[in-house]
Amino acid sequence: MKKIGLIFNGVWSHYAFAKATKYREMYELLYVHDLTADKLGEVDALVIPFQSNHKIIAEKQNLVYDFLAQGKKVFVEGDSSANWLDARWEDRPVNNYWWVKDPTKPPVSDTDYDHPIYRGLTPRQAFWHYHGVYTRIPGHAQVIQTNVDGEFITWETTHYGGHLLATTLDPIVEHGIQQITHLDNYCDRLTEWLIGIRPEGDFVIDQADYGVAF
Amino acid sequence: MPFNAQPLRGAIISNSIEGLDQLYRSDHRIQYDILEITADFQPDLSAYQVLIAPNGTDHVALYRMRDRIHKFLDRGGALLCCDGWFTDWVPGNRWVMDNSRKTIDVRYTLREDPFGVEEQFNIQDLNFSHGISGWWACGYIEAAPGATVLIEDTWQRPLVVVDEVTTNGIMVLSASGPLADLSYATTDDSKAYEAMSNLYKALLNVILQNTPKEEVV
Repeated sequence: MKKIGLIFNGVWSHYAFAKATKYREMYELLYVHDLTADKLGEVDALVIPFQSNHKIIAEKQNLVYDFLAQGKKVFVEGDSSANWLDARWEDRPVNNYWWVKDPTKPPVSDTDYDHPIYRGLTPRQAFWHYHGVYTRIPGHAQVIQTNVDGEFITWETTHYGGHLLATTLDPIVEHGIQQITHLDNYCDRLTEWLIGIRPEGDFVIDQADYGVAF
Repeated sequence: MPFNAQPLRGAIISNSIEGLDQLYRSDHRIQYDILEITADFQPDLSAYQVLIAPNGTDHVALYRMRDRIHKFLDRGGALLCCDGWFTDWVPGNRWVMDNSRKTIDVRYTLREDPFGVEEQFNIQDLNFSHGISGWWACGYIEAAPGATVLIEDTWQRPLVVVDEVTTNGIMVLSASGPLADLSYATTDDSKAYEAMSNLYKALLNVILQNTPKEEVV
């Protein structure tokens, strides 16, 4: 089975996602401090989740761009860093309660539902909240989502060989946290886009995965 | 005030996550240093009395330095961990992730309070952020025998534990419920924010009253 490498800095939500029965055969945790070209050679796509250690990733950015140059896919979520990405991320207050105040007025305005990850998603499944925005993206990038202020939420480029898709959404982290109930829809499409396999089944947590050696 | 004039020294473990530097404020009670995790992270903890593992901690790095942490605790140090420690580095206590309960049904209550924490924060305000319950903690703690369970959830599962028995030091643990002076992206609901911050200050008081001022060497 093809594998997705999940760049991992010891954050529990990353771990919970990658260990859930639904995803554990498809995702491989790659501890960022131990990341090497050999380890990346064992996976077919990469995920860099929200709450990553972007300082270390910047130090190892050649590994990511070499991976892209092989024609593979990289998905970057949440906050990011201009130290390794040709874009400018800026912080914004997190509005994770807009759906309580008025579910008809999400802070995202435009979404390209023709993109394979977003195709078939409802607006609620395509957006829950974002962590900051991109105020500058590469000139060769295509915009997939913007917020109500016209700032960039999700974009993609094939300039580096493979597909680099960056979003300030946080599907991996939030699905690991398991407080938003509809994220199977996004994460399953994301997984299928990355390696061509659509996960099935429930998000089951095995308690034996907790309190472990690593 | 029972505290000495000299503030404690606290080490905050940093996973280089956005916003960490905005969470904790040094004052007359405690002075913080941020220890940034590196590839071979084995920091010298001898100058510190308090070790803080904030939300978003690297539990691989802490597992790799667990022997240092255990020695720190056995020499009377204080550990505050407010994250989900899926690796086995916290002596005697285990955190377990769980998704079998709906957040809409989650309520936080005080089980036992020998430290007078209830007088320092409003637990009802912690229960809802913008009307949403179950926002603060995740999973639950399997507490060490003899540890104090301060806060539990709807199903009596421990969410905040103070363990003064497993080691010679003190451990204050939350089931990934953020604890800090200030909020960063966790909540901007003023009441929930205040409750979280006041709970942190109350738990810091528990540490201050139970931690020797001299160096933990």
